[in-house]
Amino acid sequence: MKKVITGDHAVALGAKLCRVDVVPAYPITPQTLIIEHIADFVNDGEMDAKFLTMESEHSVMSAAAAASAAGARVFTATSSQGLAFMYEMLYATAPLRLPIVMVNANRTLGGPPGIWCEHNDSMGVRDSGWLQVYVEDNQEALDMVIQSFRIAEDKRVLLPVMPCLDGFVLTHTVEPVDVPQQEDVDSFLPAFAPDIMLDPARPAMMGIFMPAEYIMELRRQTMGAVESAKKVIREINDEFARVFGRNYGGMIDTYMMEDAEVALVTMGTVTSTSREVVEELRKAGKKVGLVKLRFFRPFPSEDLRKALSGVSAVGVFDRSISYHGGGPAFNEIQSALYGMTVPVINHLAGIGGRDVTREQIIKMFEITIKAGNGEKVNPINWHNTRGETV
Amino acid sequence: MFEVRFHGRGGQGAVMAAQTLAEAAVIEGNYAVAFPFFGAERRGAPVLAFTRIDSKKIYSKTQIYSPDCVVVLDDSLLDTIDVVAGLKPGGSVVINSRDKPEDIDLGISVKTAVVDATSVALEILKAPITNTAILGAFARATGIIKLESLEEAIKRRFGEKLGEKIAERNSLAARTAYGKTVIGTSKGIKKLEPKKQWLPTYQELPAGGSLIEGKTDAGLIGPGSFIENKVSGWATFRPLRDREKCTMCLLCWFYCPEGTIVRISDRGDLMTNYDYCKGCGVCANECPVDAIKMVRARV
Ligand code: SF4
Ligand code: SF4
Repeated sequence: MKKVITGDHAVALGAKLCRVDVVPAYPITPQTLIIEHIADFVNDGEMDAKFLTMESEHSVMSAAAAASAAGARVFTATSSQGLAFMYEMLYATAPLRLPIVMVNANRTLGGPPGIWCEHNDSMGVRDSGWLQVYVEDNQEALDMVIQSFRIAEDKRVLLPVMPCLDGFVLTHTVEPVDVPQQEDVDSFLPAFAPDIMLDPARPAMMGIFMPAEYIMELRRQTMGAVESAKKVIREINDEFARVFGRNYGGMIDTYMMEDAEVALVTMGTVTSTSREVVEELRKAGKKVGLVKLRFFRPFPSEDLRKALSGVSAVGVFDRSISYHGGGPAFNEIQSALYGMTVPVINHLAGIGGRDVTREQIIKMFEITIKAGNGEKVNPINWHNTRGETV
Repeated sequence: MFEVRFHGRGGQGAVMAAQTLAEAAVIEGNYAVAFPFFGAERRGAPVLAFTRIDSKKIYSKTQIYSPDCVVVLDDSLLDTIDVVAGLKPGGSVVINSRDKPEDIDLGISVKTAVVDATSVALEILKAPITNTAILGAFARATGIIKLESLEEAIKRRFGEKLGEKIAERNSLAARTAYGKTVIGTSKGIKKLEPKKQWLPTYQELPAGGSLIEGKTDAGLIGPGSFIENKVSGWATFRPLRDREKCTMCLLCWFYCPEGTIVRISDRGDLMTNYDYCKGCGVCANECPVDAIKMVRARV
């Protein structure tokens, strides 16, 4: 059944279809509609979940951790300053191996205060142990809530997952979304059954104090779980595609890469617009392709090396700055491609919610094509930024 | 692809209009997306919303810069905003106005449809929320969607949120406006200067964006610069205070979101500076003795 709904509405429907048990909530723009829709579902008896209104985001993640430790399937959502306020608890939940799913509506993390899309909020917690996936439309937002629970609860993973969607560009945009049938989701996502949980009948200790004798091993173990998520993500992507007919490609997706000479790597909604730009440039005889970076944790280094092995230059779009010079995706991709001789060019755009237009994306390709032809270009380009020339 | 840009003010329902249009297009078997451009949300402030319609899936996630049609929910916007900016050649404009198309000066001569959506809304909905009425005019003027699809879309979107009765009344508003729409050609005389905006380079921007009082080619910046942001043009209504009834409890003074009710202490009186009154009616709503009446500001 196709519904014309916002990204936030799609996410809320996803949580409902996953039959989550507990939703600790604190509203923040542009995530608010998610929480409002879920509150409506619970109030109207359409969703059998405990809806907890908390006094802060820090409390939201604390409650989420406790409920998850007690064996509940937990969903919540946040954004920007809210995510920052959870920082401490994000680092507590991942090593505890609690499979919470929390959607982040990407919004600029101030200062300066702002409400529009930027990736600096979720990028700031990329090393918390949470898995992260960035989506490009409302359908993928809904579908990834479902897949995220499967990934999170897989015994080989047992890590919290954060699907990220661009604030306003998706959260407040309506488009047709195919809402899966409850029976199909039920058979795709069986009930959550952890091996160890807080149960008085079978006492357990969780979140215990650890001296130096144990922490190295615990970190190594968490790294192993992030690493094995790669295989699980691919498996679940393929199974989802078989059941629901939508294949997102796994950790990355590629578009017109078969014979591409130059590639642009994008995240989030800019991917969607870039698909049209690639088509346009192809019509003009330019052999360009697109790689959509979906998962940022685990980082798909092997997939990227494979996808980008034949190209003469790689452009990397970033919607946030890491103060070493370029954006976080640029950093990671440079290190993933280490040893390959292909030039990697960073394209910073859309920061603070500035619209990323087709013209800007064309410019990103033009600069990258130049680099592929051996011409000298700036390795880091601030697009549509007053005082910068690109 | 058919692209529409809506100009309205916060509270008039421009976003809902854009979404309802998308729903109507999907009902007819098309693909459609709708999205707002959000400023900080403020009742009365100019807002933009967009709808894209196509027969195939739409990937573009950018704003709309060259629309096929522009819909204006509030003709007071015509004085300050160049609504036809970027309009495609052969495009059209739909305006909520009491004027005839021939009497409206858009700076270019284009196909223009008008309907007095405010009166339709006040009569049928008892509130100046003009979004469904203006969509009726849009359907009539462009033929991009059928009136029946629009009414079905209104039923779905409004019915789900606000109940069947309200949906029906909105449907009636659309139908009524459809019938009353007048199509003609606008005047193309005035020259609208693009609004000046202070746009410093990153080198010019003071560290951290911290500002002291200053003057630029585009106007004042820093503390006190909001004096230039007169909002009187936003108002559909303005408050009138009855001095006899007023007990000087100061609730209106306290609640006014624009801070435009001023205490004149030596006289123990209040004064409303209408330059900064956006006509939201909060004061009238808060007054415990009903001393404030909202009267139509524009006719
Ligand atoms: S004076 Fe009244 S109507 Fe005007 S802005 Fe203040 S509260 Fe609103
Ligand atoms: S709220 Fe009413 S009674 Fe109180 S000061 Fe204002 S106008 Fe007078």
